[in-house]
Amino acid sequence: MPTKKETDDLFKSLIEGRLPRRDFIRAALAFGASATALGSVLEACSGETAEAPKPPPPSGPPTAAGPAPEADLGPMETELNIYNWSDYIAEDTVANFEKETGVKVKYDTYESNEELLAKLQVGGSGYDIVVPTGYILSVLSAQNLLEPLVKKYLTNWKNVAPLFVNPTFDPSNTFGVPWQWGTTGIAYRSDKITPPPEGWALFLDAKYKNKMTMLNDERDVIGAFLKLRGKSLSSADPADLEAAKTDAIAAKANLKAFISAEVKGQVVSGDVWAAQLWNGDTAQASKEEPNIKYCLPKEGAAFWTDSLVIPKGAPHKRAAHAFMDFILRPDVATSISDFTGYGTPNAEAVAKLAVPVPYPTEEELKRLEIQKDLGKAAQAWDQLWTEIGAA
Amino acid sequence: MNPFALRQAALRWFHRHKETQAWALLAPGFGWLGVFFLAPLLIMFGYSFMPRGEYGGVEAGFTLEHYARFADPLYIKILWRTLLDSTVCTLICLVTGYPVAYVVARATKWRNFLMFLVILPFWTSFLVRTFAMIFLLRDTGLVNTLLINLGVIQEPIIMLYTPFAVMLGLVYGFVPFMVLPIYASLEKLDLSLLEAAEVLGARPAERFFRITLPLSMPGVVAGCLLVFIPALGSFLTSDLLGGAKEILIGNLVQNQFTTARNWPFGSAASFIVMALVLLAVMIYLRARDRGNELGAQ
Amino acid sequence: MHSLKMPIWLTAFVAAVYAFLHIPLLVLVVFSFNESKYGVSWTGFTTHWYERLWERQDIIDGLKASVVVGVSSTVISTLLGTLMALAIARHEFRGRRLMEAFLYIPIVTPEIVVGISLLILFVLVNFPLGLMSVVIAHVAFNISFVVVVVLARLQGMDRNLEEAAMILGADELTTFWRITVPLLWPGILSGAMLAFTMSFDDYVITSFVTGTGASTLPIVVYTMVRKNIEPSINAISTIILVITSLLIFAADRLGRDKPLVKSEE
Repeated sequence: MPTKKETDDLFKSLIEGRLPRRDFIRAALAFGASATALGSVLEACSGETAEAPKPPPPSGPPTAAGPAPEADLGPMETELNIYNWSDYIAEDTVANFEKETGVKVKYDTYESNEELLAKLQVGGSGYDIVVPTGYILSVLSAQNLLEPLVKKYLTNWKNVAPLFVNPTFDPSNTFGVPWQWGTTGIAYRSDKITPPPEGWALFLDAKYKNKMTMLNDERDVIGAFLKLRGKSLSSADPADLEAAKTDAIAAKANLKAFISAEVKGQVVSGDVWAAQLWNGDTAQASKEEPNIKYCLPKEGAAFWTDSLVIPKGAPHKRAAHAFMDFILRPDVATSISDFTGYGTPNAEAVAKLAVPVPYPTEEELKRLEIQKDLGKAAQAWDQLWTEIGAA
Repeated sequence: MNPFALRQAALRWFHRHKETQAWALLAPGFGWLGVFFLAPLLIMFGYSFMPRGEYGGVEAGFTLEHYARFADPLYIKILWRTLLDSTVCTLICLVTGYPVAYVVARATKWRNFLMFLVILPFWTSFLVRTFAMIFLLRDTGLVNTLLINLGVIQEPIIMLYTPFAVMLGLVYGFVPFMVLPIYASLEKLDLSLLEAAEVLGARPAERFFRITLPLSMPGVVAGCLLVFIPALGSFLTSDLLGGAKEILIGNLVQNQFTTARNWPFGSAASFIVMALVLLAVMIYLRARDRGNELGAQ
Repeated sequence: MHSLKMPIWLTAFVAAVYAFLHIPLLVLVVFSFNESKYGVSWTGFTTHWYERLWERQDIIDGLKASVVVGVSSTVISTLLGTLMALAIARHEFRGRRLMEAFLYIPIVTPEIVVGISLLILFVLVNFPLGLMSVVIAHVAFNISFVVVVVLARLQGMDRNLEEAAMILGADELTTFWRITVPLLWPGILSGAMLAFTMSFDDYVITSFVTGTGASTLPIVVYTMVRKNIEPSINAISTIILVITSLLIFAADRLGRDKPLVKSEE
């Protein structure tokens, strides 16, 4: 095994251009270097990509930014590969797009942000559009794994509501077209829990022992207890995290389970009276059981947006833009949100929804926070989550 | 040269080169495993000595920190817990699986169909099966409703999201791994031996423990390994039926490659478990070969 | 044979194990006819979820992909695995024990490690991701299971018949095909069944090594879990159960006149 200095020297020599790329690959493979690390280094060094690995400064969108004229993506391709969450699009959206453009769409689904991230990091996925949540989008862009949008193809961009323009995770919307948004709060049975819950303290209340669940996700669970103490959802402060851990372990004694959105069925059946859940899924469940209500915790909660992005090296970029432009149409955006139960970032569609999902009010916005990527703190969070699990 | 002569020549050559023959049989499978399993695994082994990449993957460098980190009592406790669960699961599978294999192997009719019925549940999706089990076990589920209506209990028994549910799910998922190899070794059992023993006045229990069980030992061992080892890595059952309240090695590794984005630590944890299993298997194989040699003498 | 009767308690116990294995299946089948989308309680009879399969092209495509992958990976891994088992059980060679121990590595390696590492390999050598890469991966994790099961049958298998055949003048190949393979058959069949089952139900590894438009049925189902597993999945599962049961039932009936292994005689 090489020493750290040897490998560091190797990378340095590459960056300084002393070593031909092919030699570097061979040498790095001999060292067992990661394909991912390799890929990103090569990208950063190669002449073809003018992009810096960091996202561009927040001043102005790329259209206005530069001397560099907008890229031309050439003629429309005949295929498009989409990789999205399951049940996260209206049933006729893809068919209508195919009919209108003649593009043949291959549509696959994934289960979690993290799985998507791991797959894109290794590369070779072949997808043209994927749908990460904000904080994952920022990781992808920081690793230079995304293609910047070419705004001239997005003629319907004007429909995006101001709330979703220039978000913190994607300054100047360089990479992402907002797709759906939601909040993470509490779904509860108003016939069982009286008075109605106000916030995250509910999960510490032994009165409802074994009748409550939280999401099986460290970001959501630890985040909730950070909020309970007035801290940031993405805190890296050891003292904050320690306090959140104490609360989480105390809550665990009351909780029936840490379980994802499949908890809906058990809220409907009455096995579970209160569950940490997203607003859209709560809305879907309340269609089956009207006593199910949604609480946006008073201490604050996560506000998230999933965006359509184009992975680096996607084979059908022009068609990807065509699809993005298609879903930015008010009628299409309306049909999608009507199906998913989540909010639409489309300002022209929001008033047309069958079941309204209004934008957060000024007062609510103060309580909401957008999750940031944890970066180096991810390890500390994981340790904490493991400790909670082992407690 | 006519085909027959060619065949004879080939056979003669193989007679002279016994070891070559062995390698000829091994080569295709070993080659496949070498290229598509061992080679990628070696990349991962390399990863386990490299610093964690902030966003996933690894960075250049060399470190032993991931192996050192595993010495934390937190992880030792998780490993211990996992070993315990897998052992219990293996024992329960043995006790439930052996009789099934035995009865099916002795069946005169429908033997293949009965065998197939053991594996049939696994041709449906794991998740749909698990959700069916959740429906049975939950507070207002079928079992509790039935028991309450029959007047056996007043209050529902909490079964779902308990260690009991996890064990039930594990056993359910691994029983066929026990039944199949035991069946394969029992099916060839020479019944005349048992009949002879009966004629000589051996009681049923004696016949079983002195003849059937020893002869089916290879199947039992294979079954135990096929249950114990994959059970060590299971993670979804404890998530879905245990409500993620108990973290096992499988969950730990899964988390390292997803939320924690610590690929090298995930690899290191995997290799530690692999080394333990490999060590145990080697010890067992040595003992077995010794036993065979002694038996042969 | 008939003098060795099964005690009634043993038959009852085995029946109970079968019940344990099949009651969840019964629930699954019943819920494929249930109106409720969330499958929490019985709300009424419907065949809607079966009709809906016509609209769910993804489920049908997934099933096709799963069958293709399952069959091809089972055939390949059973073949390779059986050969390996023969070498290990029948031959003395250097490193035999190490080789046997090595076979347990694929069984113990966590799925996500297999998935990610294989994906890294495929990307490194520029191998296109699709059904082919999935088959390769499934064979890689199935071989070991086949070897272990076939070995269990081989070990201690009576070699008298084979020796008798050789003494009577059959050459090695004839002996192998006429004696060894038929004797080994239940082991090979068990190994193949295990391999197909694991291939047909694998999610984690497949999700990493699959490519565009090559989603197997487990991928379609698993990705639904966060939202809602639509009862159409119960419907397709029921169809699979019924068809395979009928096939095996028929095969068993037809095959009964000429059993593959006449071990009762």
